[in-house]
Amino acid sequence: MDTVTIEHLTKNFRGMTAIDDLSLKIEKGKITGLIGSDGSGKTTLIRLIIGLLLPDHGKISVLGLNPETQKDELNKKIGYMPQKFGLYEDLTVIENLRLYADLKNVAHDFEKLLEFTNLKKFQTRLAGALSGGMKQKLGLACVLLGSPEFLLLDEPSVGVDPISRRDLMRMVRDLISPETTVLWSTAYLDEAHSFDTAVVLNQGKVIYQGKPYDLAKTTEEFENKVIDLMGGYRKTKSRIAENYIPKNSDVEYTVVADNLEKLYGSFYAVKNNSFKIKKGEIFGLLGPNGAGKSTSFKMMCGLLKPTSGTARIMGVDITEDPENARANLGYMAQKFSLYEALTVKQNLDFFAEIYGIHDENLKKRVDEIIDIFGFFQTRKQKSGELPLGFKQKLSLACALIHNPPILFLDEPTSGVDVITRREFWDHIKSLAQKGVTVLVTTHFMDEAEYCDRISLFYKGDAVAIGTPSALKNKVRAKSMEEAFMKLILESEK
Amino acid sequence: MKILRALVKKEILQIVRDPSSIVISFVLPLISILIYMYGINLDFITVNVGIKNDDNSPEIAQLANSFGNSKYINSEISDDMNNLTQKLIRSKIKGMVVIPNDFSTKLEQKQSADLMVIADGAEVNTATHLQNYILQISNQWLASSKYAQLMSPQIVNPQIRTWYNQDSNGYYFILPGSIAITMTLIGILLTALVVAREWERGTMESLLSSNVTRMHIVLGKYIPYFILGMLSMIFNLILCIGVFRVPFHGSYLVLTFVSSLFLFASMGIGLLISTVLKNQFFASQISIGIGFLPALLLSGFVFPIGSMPEILQYITRILPPRYFITFIESEFMAGTVPSIAIKSSLFLLILGTLLFWAVYKNTDMRLSND
Amino acid sequence: MIEKLKKILALIKKEFIITWMDPKSRRIIIALPIVQLILFSYAITMEVKNIDVVVVDQDNSTESRELISRFDLSPQFRNIYRVKNMKQMQNKLDNKDANMGLYINNDFSTNIISHTPTDVLIITDGRQTNSAAIVAGYVSQIVSDYSQEIAPTNGVKINVVTRNWYNPNLEYRWFILTVIIAMLASVITLILTALSIAREREMGTFDQLIVSPLSSVDILAGKTVPPLIIAMALTCIMTFVIKIFFRMPFEGSIVLFLISMFVSLLSLVGVGLYISSICRTQQQAILGVITFMMPAVLLSGFISPIEDMPVFLQYLTLLNPIRFFMALTRGIFLKGMNFADVSMNLVPLIITATITLSLACWSFKKRQN
Repeated sequence: MDTVTIEHLTKNFRGMTAIDDLSLKIEKGKITGLIGSDGSGKTTLIRLIIGLLLPDHGKISVLGLNPETQKDELNKKIGYMPQKFGLYEDLTVIENLRLYADLKNVAHDFEKLLEFTNLKKFQTRLAGALSGGMKQKLGLACVLLGSPEFLLLDEPSVGVDPISRRDLMRMVRDLISPETTVLWSTAYLDEAHSFDTAVVLNQGKVIYQGKPYDLAKTTEEFENKVIDLMGGYRKTKSRIAENYIPKNSDVEYTVVADNLEKLYGSFYAVKNNSFKIKKGEIFGLLGPNGAGKSTSFKMMCGLLKPTSGTARIMGVDITEDPENARANLGYMAQKFSLYEALTVKQNLDFFAEIYGIHDENLKKRVDEIIDIFGFFQTRKQKSGELPLGFKQKLSLACALIHNPPILFLDEPTSGVDVITRREFWDHIKSLAQKGVTVLVTTHFMDEAEYCDRISLFYKGDAVAIGTPSALKNKVRAKSMEEAFMKLILESEK
Repeated sequence: MKILRALVKKEILQIVRDPSSIVISFVLPLISILIYMYGINLDFITVNVGIKNDDNSPEIAQLANSFGNSKYINSEISDDMNNLTQKLIRSKIKGMVVIPNDFSTKLEQKQSADLMVIADGAEVNTATHLQNYILQISNQWLASSKYAQLMSPQIVNPQIRTWYNQDSNGYYFILPGSIAITMTLIGILLTALVVAREWERGTMESLLSSNVTRMHIVLGKYIPYFILGMLSMIFNLILCIGVFRVPFHGSYLVLTFVSSLFLFASMGIGLLISTVLKNQFFASQISIGIGFLPALLLSGFVFPIGSMPEILQYITRILPPRYFITFIESEFMAGTVPSIAIKSSLFLLILGTLLFWAVYKNTDMRLSND
Repeated sequence: MIEKLKKILALIKKEFIITWMDPKSRRIIIALPIVQLILFSYAITMEVKNIDVVVVDQDNSTESRELISRFDLSPQFRNIYRVKNMKQMQNKLDNKDANMGLYINNDFSTNIISHTPTDVLIITDGRQTNSAAIVAGYVSQIVSDYSQEIAPTNGVKINVVTRNWYNPNLEYRWFILTVIIAMLASVITLILTALSIAREREMGTFDQLIVSPLSSVDILAGKTVPPLIIAMALTCIMTFVIKIFFRMPFEGSIVLFLISMFVSLLSLVGVGLYISSICRTQQQAILGVITFMMPAVLLSGFISPIEDMPVFLQYLTLLNPIRFFMALTRGIFLKGMNFADVSMNLVPLIITATITLSLACWSFKKRQN
């Protein structure tokens, strides 16, 4: 018995094919992982399945219903968590739960969910004030209300730390009945590897469907196989780094955090944070959501005034001379924050200009970036319409455009497909070799291994600083993920 | 029902969290009533006038002085024409009266004497008023002067009575009318962004994949803002009747009924803007563009609709405040006039229903292809 | 310095692409004001026309019919309804089927023939006191003209000869057009400035700007220029439309007009920026705009003259850019104000612009910390 049957489905947007003659069956009672490169049509496919979009051609049947004509009935049986999940940020946790419970006509019995999500303490907090991981957990909790027959999750684990990611997975596995079908789109291949079925999309077509375990026994292998399926990845020299013109400076420690502290009321968001990053070093900030990484980040680039302490960029104090300090900085925010109404090229032009690249240099540089990042096809598209992964790519490009000696990257690879992630890190590593200092946060533990040094953040405190291997040795962990868990557990004591 | 209740509750919580809409519902009426009470005067105007008297008879000097004695005119007697002209350009005075040197001679000779008025035509309304004032004052002077017996008797005298408002107190009509303007704005502005906001923030996508029907979404927006709007309306009425003591001769029941129809129609405009545009930036521009100025200028509050070209009179029929102004002025001053109350309610009901239908039809239950 | 200017130029360009290149946005910014300009200028007048009269003629004589026919002939009056008695008249007036009532007693003709002064009763509708007063004026004029004609002898009389400078035929449209231009330009300027920062805040792009080496003054400059240019272009287009459509005179100098427009709009940009610097969301910004704009329009002197307001309010209007903007458009269009006249109106505008812009700058910087 199949929950979803799709035959010859096609969907175009303004002449661009998003879904291309796609046929697919999704088995009932199984967890199916939906993976694929950015812009391969994952979100569009999910939206078509639940009738939020109408197909141009082809047939879809979901739980025996036609989403085109029977959307209302279908809605009663499904739980859908969109990428930008619709939590009301100006409502509290419990108010959001109550709202979605009422919309699904189920009783206000949230004990188990609150327990599972660890949100019990935060019931009266505004959803907008939750950390990324907690928001996703709350979103999932809202979707799970009323035990839907078919659960569709569009990248629920984007920007979620490893611990919360396990929680999300546990919530789904433990809280649904065995008959429930789950369609889970994800960029984390370790997640996908643990599912019953994996569907790999590429350019609107299914290029693989089967048991992930059949494809590869281990996660690493699985990742390589998927990359091969998607056309393979050849490591090339980073042309960004090649064209990088190093800035002469005799500052040894290019980024310095000096006793940074942020106090909200009586609550320390960041407490006594100090570190020094050498020129050319990749420094990783790791830690669960809400540990104070983003707050530190914002203080370091002058978006937030520290309660005490300061930061120095290339020796310039950020609180005293923010304009000069920032001139050396390339910054990529966690949330996509480029102009959605501007096209890809217009965004690049704009950011180049405000960082002081003009006239012929501008044209040269922007063309170069478009070429390196492969924006040629999309250069005239509005950036708001791009898939998440493309947006991240564009954000990185804008942060790099002025050859900054220092890069601040806040979760640059969140929502980015596996191939692009490798490209990102190629650029980052090669730039560091050229002397660019990089401060980066990530939730991918394999990426943490690329960092020269790591500061592990928990509850506003740096609980450990050191090279990845030093941290692993410290708690005798095999993988970075294990070290992460153990170190956090240790600091709890 | 439960779903609707949940949506309404959600909206109310959101209103409470960002009190700007509550503030606006009560601050705007307060500001506007204060302004209309103290800053706006539509009945008579005090005009600054320069007087140049070329006739040196003492009798005529009295005429020159009598202009300044009127409460409608602040006069300034001067012989320097250039100075007066300069002042006229700079709007320090709005007109001049020139008494020619043969004025008294002509009167003595039982002839008509010309009085020259130069008005600042750039301000049309003031110019018209000025002309009437001068005519009245000079005739009054003539009747009390020594030339009075030379006048021919006025046989037919118009006796003017102003009904519904014996003292012609302008505030009795300005204040109730201003409620219509303020409430149009509030009705439109409160609702113009609320649907667009859900689309921009992505919450709409979640709603669309839950059990919510189109009617739920529409009513879920109408009901909470209707409640807030009615509270604002009551606040307006309390200010008007309770604080500023505008006499009310009508029925509170009828007033409440028609007010709610009016609010229903005004909110329809805001919600339609929001539903169609799905973009807060555009919705804001449009709602101010079509909310404020047309309500003020085309509703018949200040500028009579009867004087507009016929086609434009038809266009005003789509403006809810048009009906409400006629109704509320009449309800306050003349008591309930059944034909006016019924006609206004009917039009507002039709308009409101049409808008409701348009909002309903335009509420997308799927994502668009853009 | 040039480097800085180029950066600001980039900000300006970006703003233009966003507000101007989008066809929907362009339509709202240009088409909406032009449509409103034409609509309002055709529609709005303070004159009262098409007056319907309800008449009770108890006399029904040649004389009474003659008087009534005067109303029929007057261009301001439209329909004459004859009814039998006071009750029917009241009914007509209550329902607003007629705007005024005329009651002629049964001794009207007898009195006229015997040259005895006689009264006719005029009833106006006090539910709209301003129209009532104007109607009463018309009626008095008609009755007194009639009275003059039937008077037995020619007595002395004062003729008021009026010359209306700057607008000889007292075209209401000329007046209202100058008002509307200023009003529409102000509205667009306020909306554009107040919303643009709030929108960037909501979208998160604002942080990206702050992290760049731009100073807050640069950012504000980038936000000031585009609305200014758009509103100035809009005003010029509206002026052009006026010349073509309404053949209205433009007596003053174009250069002075451009300067006045620039200063007026600049002070409005200051207001808009200040609003947006204290708002978090677009919803708040738009409510802020209306809270400023409603009083500013009402107290600009176009509905009710400033000289007539209480002294306190008169002083308050010195801070109202829309007031001076309107005075300047009117003065330059119709009166041909010269430099000295214009500069008297510019001084308060420059002061307001300085205050609002520095206030915006200050509150903006404060928010950053």
